[in-house]
Amino acid sequence: MNKTMLKIVAFGVAVIGFYMYITVYVTGLSGTGGGETAGGVTPEAGEQIFWGDGQCSTCHKIGSSGSATRGPDQEGLAERAEERAKKLGMSSGLDYMIESIVEPDKYVVDGYDKIMPKVFDPPIMLSREKILAVIAYLQTLGGEPDIDAIMKFKDKIPEASKTKVKPWVSPMEVTAEEGEQVFFDESLNVTCGKCHMVSGKGKKVGPELTGIGAIQTPEYFVESILTPSTVIVKGYETVFVVTVDGIPYNGLIKSDTEQELTLIVEESGSMEEVVIPKAEIEDMKKQEVSIMPGNISELLSVRQFYAVIAYLRSLK
Amino acid sequence: MNNYKLFLKFIKQKSIFVMLLVIALSAVLSLSLQKGVLLTAVHAEEAGVELPAFEEGAASGEQQQTAEGTSAAGAEGEAKAEEEEEGELEPVQYRAFFGLDSRVIVWIVSELHLMFAAFVLGVPIFAVIVEIVGFKGGDIKYDKMAKEFTKLLSAAFATTASLGGLLAFSLFGLYPEFMGHMTNVFAPTMYVYALMFFGEAFTLYGYYYSWDILKGTSAKKWFHISLGVLLNLFGTGLMFLTNSWATYMMGPSGVSMKTGRLLSLSEAFYNELWMPVNIHRLIANVCFGGFIVGAYAAVKFLGAKTKEEKAHYDWMGYVGNFIGIGALIPLPFAGYWLGREIYSASPVMGNIMMGGAFSWTFIIQAILIGMLFIGANYYLWLGMGRIKGSERYTGYIKYLNVIIFMCFAVWLTPHNLPLSGEERAMIGEQYHPFSKYFGVMAAKNAVVNLIILSTFFSFLIYRRSNKGTMVAFSEQGKVGKIGVLSGLGFCLMMLVSYAISLNFVELDAQIKGYVTPLIFALYIQSLVVCLAVFLTFKNKGKLGQFILFGVTTCIAVLYFWYYGFQVMQKANLVLRYLSVTQVSIVMSCLIMNAVIDIFMFRKAKVVGEITWGKMPVRSQYALLLLCIVIVILMGLMGFIRSGLRMDWHVYGLLQDTSQWAYTPTLSFMGRVVGLIVALFLGLVAFVFWLANLGDKKVKTEAE
Repeated sequence: MNKTMLKIVAFGVAVIGFYMYITVYVTGLSGTGGGETAGGVTPEAGEQIFWGDGQCSTCHKIGSSGSATRGPDQEGLAERAEERAKKLGMSSGLDYMIESIVEPDKYVVDGYDKIMPKVFDPPIMLSREKILAVIAYLQTLGGEPDIDAIMKFKDKIPEASKTKVKPWVSPMEVTAEEGEQVFFDESLNVTCGKCHMVSGKGKKVGPELTGIGAIQTPEYFVESILTPSTVIVKGYETVFVVTVDGIPYNGLIKSDTEQELTLIVEESGSMEEVVIPKAEIEDMKKQEVSIMPGNISELLSVRQFYAVIAYLRSLK
Repeated sequence: MNNYKLFLKFIKQKSIFVMLLVIALSAVLSLSLQKGVLLTAVHAEEAGVELPAFEEGAASGEQQQTAEGTSAAGAEGEAKAEEEEEGELEPVQYRAFFGLDSRVIVWIVSELHLMFAAFVLGVPIFAVIVEIVGFKGGDIKYDKMAKEFTKLLSAAFATTASLGGLLAFSLFGLYPEFMGHMTNVFAPTMYVYALMFFGEAFTLYGYYYSWDILKGTSAKKWFHISLGVLLNLFGTGLMFLTNSWATYMMGPSGVSMKTGRLLSLSEAFYNELWMPVNIHRLIANVCFGGFIVGAYAAVKFLGAKTKEEKAHYDWMGYVGNFIGIGALIPLPFAGYWLGREIYSASPVMGNIMMGGAFSWTFIIQAILIGMLFIGANYYLWLGMGRIKGSERYTGYIKYLNVIIFMCFAVWLTPHNLPLSGEERAMIGEQYHPFSKYFGVMAAKNAVVNLIILSTFFSFLIYRRSNKGTMVAFSEQGKVGKIGVLSGLGFCLMMLVSYAISLNFVELDAQIKGYVTPLIFALYIQSLVVCLAVFLTFKNKGKLGQFILFGVTTCIAVLYFWYYGFQVMQKANLVLRYLSVTQVSIVMSCLIMNAVIDIFMFRKAKVVGEITWGKMPVRSQYALLLLCIVIVILMGLMGFIRSGLRMDWHVYGLLQDTSQWAYTPTLSFMGRVVGLIVALFLGLVAFVFWLANLGDKKVKTEAE
């Protein structure tokens, strides 16, 4: 390597070295890792979260602190919150603040867009305690913090999901058309269409599934099919009835009048209506068990199972 | 036979290295077998990323094979039996490469691949432009230079492809779950990518090897140029394709944010950040290509032994720098657009970028861009030394220096400082009461525009350095008039159409009032552009240029600096319109002034020729500095773009739960980027050396 090349290499190393020095210098300047942290539901902790993890200062400033203007200036918020709560018929300013965080689109201050994210959802994912701390801090802006009052509202704030968000991918290539056939195929051991209705097709013993793909996740479908009693849709809870003759029935209430109770019960894989005169009922209890068969994993093949999931996902 | 002997001789000489290599390979193989790495890898991929969450093992690869016609319970039983035999199979989320930090491996490989890709995409744009210039102007040295760089491309292309392969294997190997998701969303585009790669390879080699064959007639040359254009289309297409994958990771769309299910491939592909990144990278690649050419010329210049060689490489360095600066000027505008769209895609990510953890990286970016602008200006000023007559303009340089340095002081000011309670109590608020006004976007936009205007002014005085008495514009014939009127038409179309469109923006009545000054500013600028053209037609073009520069600075820099604060405080939604207005006004000034200057000095008397080769050695180091800095800048911006996702593979959808999900410190980033830059520059030097080996042999034989 000649002298010129050595000089060029030395120059290159010097420039890269200068850059690396700058990054070390700026790291020190930025104070990474320094500073004390406050915890718990306190205004101090809330202030740190407001300017830090909570990303609130992305959009809000507080008087002369901060310069973000995407959202309203929070100076004097506590006073304004009381006024708005009265206007909106809410119990208190605190109620208004909590609603603004839990349902940010419900009331939007004039002149601002609906851009506020739900801070307990990804990507911010603030814990309930941190949100409460921020509220405590916001109460200090034009008012006094009332931690006891805040804690009474804690259940209104959803817990941030700690589980990893993972996209669901079908383990095999199946089509929704294939699933539709399985869903209504009466030659199989189990026929979904005998109890569920989709766009006017099928029977309405269980919940109607028209448009279900738009509001439920694949994980929910998997769970509902394999362990149907885990979540029972409101209105489809089963009852356990014992007659004076000691005959037990477990089924869905189809109708309930003064004279008689009509149940839909499963008998040998098919759904039958049973009418029981009220006078013959010895005991009746609400059940935590779904009427849907719990052994579908034995009645469908893996392929048929995933085909049904694909069909349900397509119902939008 | 000779080759065989040479090979034996090589083995004999390098026997220690060969033995070490064999030992190393054996060690890797035995370790792999011992740990069952190979076996696990195969099964893990079968179990893969597609396991649903409900039941472990229910969707293993084996079970999928036997699923048809088998009951779920039966399949479960089989799976359990197999589990007993082989142990439990878990879906593989992450793997490590011999315990190394997977993220750093992917970081280094992807950056190197991207840098080579930028070279392979940027230099052909440069080569075709230069070839066209040479062909139209009849100057053979342009043609030679274009060919010289295409030769370098061939070697760089193979390196890019190899690094691309290494990157793909690293990603699939180390991040299988994430890549499973990406494949699930983008599989069809991956085939297109592979096919386009063929197109790129064929046109590149066709373009290079047909250079001498397609010479002689105009038709042949145009055909050759068309091949070059096709090569660029394939290259740009490839870049656009991969950009959609990268931008999807930052702002996913077209998928269900709860399940990750693909809803629309076109939406996932054409996500919010796709086009801003495309434009930004396209311009950056041209800039990168220009500065790499400049550095190549500088190295050759410094090693040149004859006056002719020095003159040739001085000229080459000038052309490289010219193209580099040409692309550098619009780059901040494209960068601003990208930043704005990042804010639109996710205000949280936007805040992380400009007001949070990454805001400090922009201080470093500002230093680097400062070095680029100062380096480019410095090179221009030194270049004036080889032009007789330039003494008339050297007095302006000190003022330009002051302006540029002051602008950087503002640009370097951070928005906020992490303060302790004590410090905050001393200051009285979260942000510094005075400096915070220099840290906000309004101030930064203003000074960036001023830097651009100053650099453009530098370029104008450079190009008129050896120009003497001008021929009156009225005597220049139709070409000048048509040229200037075309420039005027373009500028008016840009300014007036935007002013009209601002009348129809949908905003609340109380906010809409803040748009009115922008409309006025656009109309005022339109009038000033017309006035500059009118004065040019009246043979007072210099006065026209002066007024245009002055008014543009007053509106786009001074007034919008002040008005930007007003808008931020009272009508934040208007800020985006203000920025576009600012850019339009500055662009109109640059375009109109350049057009006027070209035609005004078209037939001017030449005071003195440019003495190519008469450049001080330090000017070549300025070119080297520009090249190194742009490579560092690419490394830094790559870190920022990727790091903004924080601990998300796909922002808000697929979380990174690996042990490397934390954001590294700036100093660690500095070391990694420094290493990448050193590796890249070393590899480029090696590739250039390889590509020139043939020439050395020819030269030696000729001697």
